[in-house]
Amino acid sequence: MLLQLKNIFKWVQQGGQRVFLLKDINLEVEEGEFISIMGPSGSGKSTLLNVIGMLDTFDEGEYDFLSESVHTLKEKYRSNLYKEYIGFVFQSYHLLDDLTVEENLEMPLLYKKIKSSERKALVADMLDRFNIVGKKDLFPTQLSGGQQQLVGVARALIGKPKLILADEPTGNLNSQQSEEIMALFKKLNEEDGVTIIQVTHSEKNAEYGSRIINLLDGRKI
Amino acid sequence: MFKNYIKIAWRSLKKQAFFTFLNTFGLAIGMAGALMISLYINDELSYDKMFADADRIYRIDADIKFGGAEIKAAESAPPMAGALKRDYSQVESTVRFRTLGSMYVKKVGSETSSKEDRVTYADSTFFEFFGIDLLVGNSKSALTGTNSLVLTKTAAEKYFGSTDVLGQDLLLDNSDTYTVTGVIDDMPKNSYFNEYSVFLAMAGNVGSREELWGSNNYFTFVKLIPEARVEDFQAPLQGMLERYMLPWAQKYFPGMTAESFAASGNYIRYHTIAFTDIHLHSDRSSEMNATSSMQNIYILSFIGLFLIILASVNFMNLSTAHSLKRAKEVGVRKTLGSNKMNLIFQFLTESGLIAFISLIAALLITMITLPFFNGFTGKSIAIPFSQPLFWLLLFAATILLGFFSGCYPAFFMSRFNPVKTLKGGASESVGNGRVRNALVIFQFSISVFLIVSTLVVFQQLNYIQSKDLGFTKDQVLLINEISPLGSKTNAFKEEILKMGNVENVTLSNFYPTPSWRSDTSFFQEGTKSQENAIQMQTWDVDMDYLKTLEMDVVAGRDFNKQYASDSTAIIINEATLPILNVTAQEALGMRISEEIDMENPSYYTIIGVVKDFHFKSLRENIGALGLHVENNAENMAVRLSGGDYSKSIAEIENIWNTMAPGQPFDYQFMDEAFYSTYNSEQKLSQIFFIFTILSIFIACLGLFGLAAFNAEKRTKEIGVRKVLGATVSQISYRLTVDFLKLVGVAILISLPLGWFAMNKWLEDFSYRIEIGFGVFVLAAVLAIMVAIVTVSYQSIKAAIVNPVKSLRSD
Repeated sequence: MLLQLKNIFKWVQQGGQRVFLLKDINLEVEEGEFISIMGPSGSGKSTLLNVIGMLDTFDEGEYDFLSESVHTLKEKYRSNLYKEYIGFVFQSYHLLDDLTVEENLEMPLLYKKIKSSERKALVADMLDRFNIVGKKDLFPTQLSGGQQQLVGVARALIGKPKLILADEPTGNLNSQQSEEIMALFKKLNEEDGVTIIQVTHSEKNAEYGSRIINLLDGRKI
Repeated sequence: MFKNYIKIAWRSLKKQAFFTFLNTFGLAIGMAGALMISLYINDELSYDKMFADADRIYRIDADIKFGGAEIKAAESAPPMAGALKRDYSQVESTVRFRTLGSMYVKKVGSETSSKEDRVTYADSTFFEFFGIDLLVGNSKSALTGTNSLVLTKTAAEKYFGSTDVLGQDLLLDNSDTYTVTGVIDDMPKNSYFNEYSVFLAMAGNVGSREELWGSNNYFTFVKLIPEARVEDFQAPLQGMLERYMLPWAQKYFPGMTAESFAASGNYIRYHTIAFTDIHLHSDRSSEMNATSSMQNIYILSFIGLFLIILASVNFMNLSTAHSLKRAKEVGVRKTLGSNKMNLIFQFLTESGLIAFISLIAALLITMITLPFFNGFTGKSIAIPFSQPLFWLLLFAATILLGFFSGCYPAFFMSRFNPVKTLKGGASESVGNGRVRNALVIFQFSISVFLIVSTLVVFQQLNYIQSKDLGFTKDQVLLINEISPLGSKTNAFKEEILKMGNVENVTLSNFYPTPSWRSDTSFFQEGTKSQENAIQMQTWDVDMDYLKTLEMDVVAGRDFNKQYASDSTAIIINEATLPILNVTAQEALGMRISEEIDMENPSYYTIIGVVKDFHFKSLRENIGALGLHVENNAENMAVRLSGGDYSKSIAEIENIWNTMAPGQPFDYQFMDEAFYSTYNSEQKLSQIFFIFTILSIFIACLGLFGLAAFNAEKRTKEIGVRKVLGATVSQISYRLTVDFLKLVGVAILISLPLGWFAMNKWLEDFSYRIEIGFGVFVLAAVLAIMVAIVTVSYQSIKAAIVNPVKSLRSD
């Protein structure tokens, strides 16, 4: 098993009352799964994804990731854990505008303290694989949205993560670009065995996955 | 990784050019200011350290109270040096100087002479004592002959065109012929002997060999043997009083004992001052060269520190404010696996880089401005590019500065929550800016403090310049060194009086301008004991003195040619009255004499009392003074009635040239001579002024950046308000008033501090202003106005943005 959420609660205090963002979430994810989280705005999709990605904390419950109990880890270990195993893809790509495509890809490797020669090789592989060698010296703003997201996915993958978390990865793309990105996810999932959890509004995108989780008001339904 | 940090830092700085400029510029100005102040202080602290054995050299000072006057003497009696060498085994050698002020020097046979400003007699031990090498001549014998002198290189080249001048003759003040027996390098600028160019053999000074313990005219230096401790020398020094001073005095005041001397409240206290301490620590008024004070060093250090702190605070403010733009980056980096330390290092790299760019800019600024700075401080400071230590300190300071400035922003930004920043809630994570507000308050407190200080210093200077001095210093031309006129002096005076725009002319050696003067003891008729001596200055003047300088007689009368007896008349000032213990009217007709010990002393009769006029600096009280008529003047004062001064001067010079051909015509205006007393205050006020402007400028850079940030942060709010019908002026008012509150708090903090500090400073002046309410109002208004101007640009810019634009984003 890759990860397991047990009775996760998350709330904020508002006007003296608890407003629940996540309520009693239980979830088991096996390696190689492709899960889509769906639900209306404000239902807690992104919050759940952030909790799984260890970017956000929760108030109650247990979270095991590869048999490590995340809720008891210190920030440093937690960041080591997600640095090692998790890649993020965002709706608005979140590439660093000051860096070229190549440098954006290199960034996670730097934080993993991988040697320069190895970094070069990995980046070259990734550029090759995503067919963006010709764009390596361009800055994100010089690319189309689809191309930016391609770089975003490549950057998420370069650290060879076990799990990719994608928050509405196609939300800013047109339908053709969307299909390409989703096809890419499918291929990564099937051929490389990467586990993927995506948040999406689109039924069509959700169908690329093997399982759908529906949320409403912070609850799994 | 580090390479990567640098690369990223460079790119993000380049991208945010405006922000980088504000940051770099502020920091560079702060650094340049601090660098210049450091160089200045370093120069001040380096005084006299270049001389060999400087650490073993001391000067003998004496605090003397005798006959109602207290003197802090830097000079000793002529036999002091010899007695010290004889009596104290710790003394290795001694040297004495007797300064002569300026002299006119010319090559024998030459037509024109030129003025050497600093001439002194020096003992023959001079060169060995200070380890000075002679370029030509023998260091042991150079200053032994009665009419020998040693020149500096510059002086030698001026008169002879080379330094190979042994045996050449020079004529001093058109009367005495001296033979050049040596040439030395010019005295270092940062030395006590700066600008001394002519050293005459002490052998030519008859007084130097007299066993006269009563007059202090010789700057006396001793060099202790290496094993000696100055404390062991200092204590027994007091023994000089009983061994030499009293036995000598008993010749004139029979029966005087150490007890009776002390019982009358008189004292002589000898002590030493380290040679290297003289420049900054001496409290003597007559020194061989202008000295400075530690107080100025402290003030400057504070200003330098202020500047750096201001610039650093600026940096913090701008960086944290700017972090809004960086929030997303922090979020992304965190999701990519960056931990806090990585981010902190990254931001510190950035601030380090800015610090180094600023350093380069600061060095450039310093190189450009240093000549001006040297110009008004009278120094020749250079950036010591070739000294490794300088670079080491500079780099260390820069790294430290980068670290200090970057620390807070780095920790601040590395704390951002990635979830929030990526969702676009950056303004939340940037926080409410309590720390930034505190920093703005801090900056403006310093600025307002400096404004208050500047205003007070200016007011005090203005007060000095406009104060009723008891004489009129304006429109008076002083002609120095008229002795070449010889017997034609009176004819010269008459010629000048004939000129249309000349009101009066007087001849005297004494004017109420800074110069070296000493007190003499006078005794009232009938006094038999020295305890009742009156210490007063006596000035030799001519009959037209009071009229020319427009001084008022409060009792009795002015000198008058019709009274033959006026040759033994004296006019005293009001300050003498309390010492005589009489009123002005009672003083008239009293007789006083210098000679108590004589059978038939010659008396001066008091014929008038002149209203007190300031002849010392306003830092000091007016002392006792007497004026009497004597014809030995070397200077002349001409009161002009206005009109074209340069024409009058040219006319006088013409007369001069016909009566004293080939002699230099040397003049200055009395008010200028007067102001030279306040050189150090004037310099201080200029320094204050410059650095106040700088500090306000830096604070404004910060405020400007902060206002930009604030406007950006509130873009949405402004948009909504506009949609709801707010006008541009309402919105810009809202944005501006927040900052004014901060400035207001700063004003409240700094005004009392400024009041306190400046009162301390004013204590040095016997005659000083009261710090008025107006200073504070003015400082406050200035600060507020500067703040409004700085902030309103950003506020108005934000307020006129089309709300459709600001509300469209996310």
